Amino acid sequence: MQFGIFSVSDITPDPTTGRVPDDTERVRDMLTIARHADEAGLDVFATGEHHNPPFMASSPTTMLGYLAGVTRNITLSTATTLITTNDPVRLAEEYAMLQVISDGRMDLMMGRGNTGPVYPWFGQDIRNGIPLAVENYALLRRLWTEDVVDWEGTFRTALQGFTSTPRPLDGVPPFVWHGSIRSPEIAEQAAYYGDGFLHNNIFWPMHHTRQMVRFYRQRYEHHGHGRADQAIVGLGGQVFLHRNSQEAVRQFRPYFDVAPVYGHGPSLEDFSAQTPLTVGSPQQVIDRYASFVDDVGYYQRQMFLIDHAGLPLKTVLEQIDLLAGEVVPALRTIVEAKRPADDVPLNPPTHAERVAAARAAGRTAATHVGDGVDDVTGTLAEGARA
Amino acid sequence: MSTERLLTVVAAGLSQPSSTRLLADRLATATTDELHLAGVPVRVEVVELRDHAHAIVDAMLTGFAAGDLAEAVRHVEQADGIVAVTPVFTASYSGLFKSFADILDPAALTGVPVLLGATGGTERHTLALEYALRPLLSYLHADVVPTSVFAATADWAGASAPDGPRDGAGGLPQRIARAGQELARAVAAREPRGEQADPFASTPSFSDLLGG
Repeated sequence: MQFGIFSVSDITPDPTTGRVPDDTERVRDMLTIARHADEAGLDVFATGEHHNPPFMASSPTTMLGYLAGVTRNITLSTATTLITTNDPVRLAEEYAMLQVISDGRMDLMMGRGNTGPVYPWFGQDIRNGIPLAVENYALLRRLWTEDVVDWEGTFRTALQGFTSTPRPLDGVPPFVWHGSIRSPEIAEQAAYYGDGFLHNNIFWPMHHTRQMVRFYRQRYEHHGHGRADQAIVGLGGQVFLHRNSQEAVRQFRPYFDVAPVYGHGPSLEDFSAQTPLTVGSPQQVIDRYASFVDDVGYYQRQMFLIDHAGLPLKTVLEQIDLLAGEVVPALRTIVEAKRPADDVPLNPPTHAERVAAARAAGRTAATHVGDGVDDVTGTLAEGARA
Repeated sequence: MSTERLLTVVAAGLSQPSSTRLLADRLATATTDELHLAGVPVRVEVVELRDHAHAIVDAMLTGFAAGDLAEAVRHVEQADGIVAVTPVFTASYSGLFKSFADILDPAALTGVPVLLGATGGTERHTLALEYALRPLLSYLHADVVPTSVFAATADWAGASAPDGPRDGAGGLPQRIARAGQELARAVAAREPRGEQADPFASTPSFSDLLGG
């Protein structure tokens, strides 16, 4: 199982000091957080995408492209990439570019975005959220798998003889997750394509998560990609760690009580009981998160939110050390022992594994722009071979 | 023998004991009496919103109902008939009553027979039932029975207010009985709702989504 962190990139005053980081500082902090996660040995770093304050992560591939250059092992991902308000043509280009730059050390997660006013800023309408996600993703896949695309749809201008460049690395597109909290249509979409499904359950009770994941697994099998227990599942999570559990609660409570999402609502204790939020010692986090496999079946990726609600950088970096040093090794051992069979994937597929699988199935396009493809028309010139 | 129906009573009174709860219980009894006469078995669940006040605010902030409130919401979503009674505060239903309505699934009450009741200090608030409660329930597509029942302090004394109009509406017990009859008929006429349908059963297959 992979363990990683994701950021929603909120710029929130630290309630204990009143200090507000500016956006420049927060961008730099996020880069520091990602580099630290890589050095500490976490498996995944994912950035959100937002186009409205108080969030700053508007340009994921710029950030992830830089991180690809300065990190060594960590998989770079998104949480989420807006499949609704982004032009799928730009997504195809930008993420193929990121895939090449990172040498395949990336994947991405599609999401719709739930903030109505953002849609019209990009020429769209939130009421079309599901149809946009369906049409845009179908086009994105074609742009990655077909060298030359003729296409016509509802939400963007038609394409004639279009080639998205650069072509996916080794002719195999990035692995894609679909994230949704409440919409079974998106779980169905993930299942239809045999993509991953991540239920970001950080603010939701487990009985709801269980239902969504079960539905995705059933549909994954229905669409012929493998057994239900072989589907690729991820969960969200939220923790605050301290070696002394009372101290964890004491330190986190002021952040919890006024946090943008759930502040001024349920108590820390109630919310911890109702959602995956766990505030306590490494052992408490291990015990809690080891139990999720019993709820949703063995899954491949566990993400944690740790850098929100105004927590200062120093605290976040300490959280990463505790997570990577004292939680993940033990947690991984416990959950991987619960894997039901050897043919249930241990992790989400890496680029190398996807290339091997595609080659075995004879499915790689393995073309590059320049392999005799006409630069102007995008079509193969007669008799031309590079 | 027909299937057992679920009558859910939602009472938004704040005091203990509460005249709102008293009215709600009388309306429920009038309804169940009528259903029994008609040979329709019925089970009653009472949701006192005061017991869930904090949880209702939490649900507005977190987006999900937790614990006992989740069960209360289920009682409403599975009800074959609902008695909903609120005190009139500042010319309308109480804020707690509206907050509870706000956390329900917008489709939860579609087509469900509902009997409305309200309480207040004087009968001057009577029409709050018609200009505030009834439109709210109409918006939710509930099947609101024609008679709604307002109980002012004076009504509990057993007569119309001495200086009030003799409008032929009858005393409180008569209005309660008539309203209960109307709700019972509506409940009996409708197919039992039973357990909630699987929310995933109606998800279109992806081929349909692509083709749509």
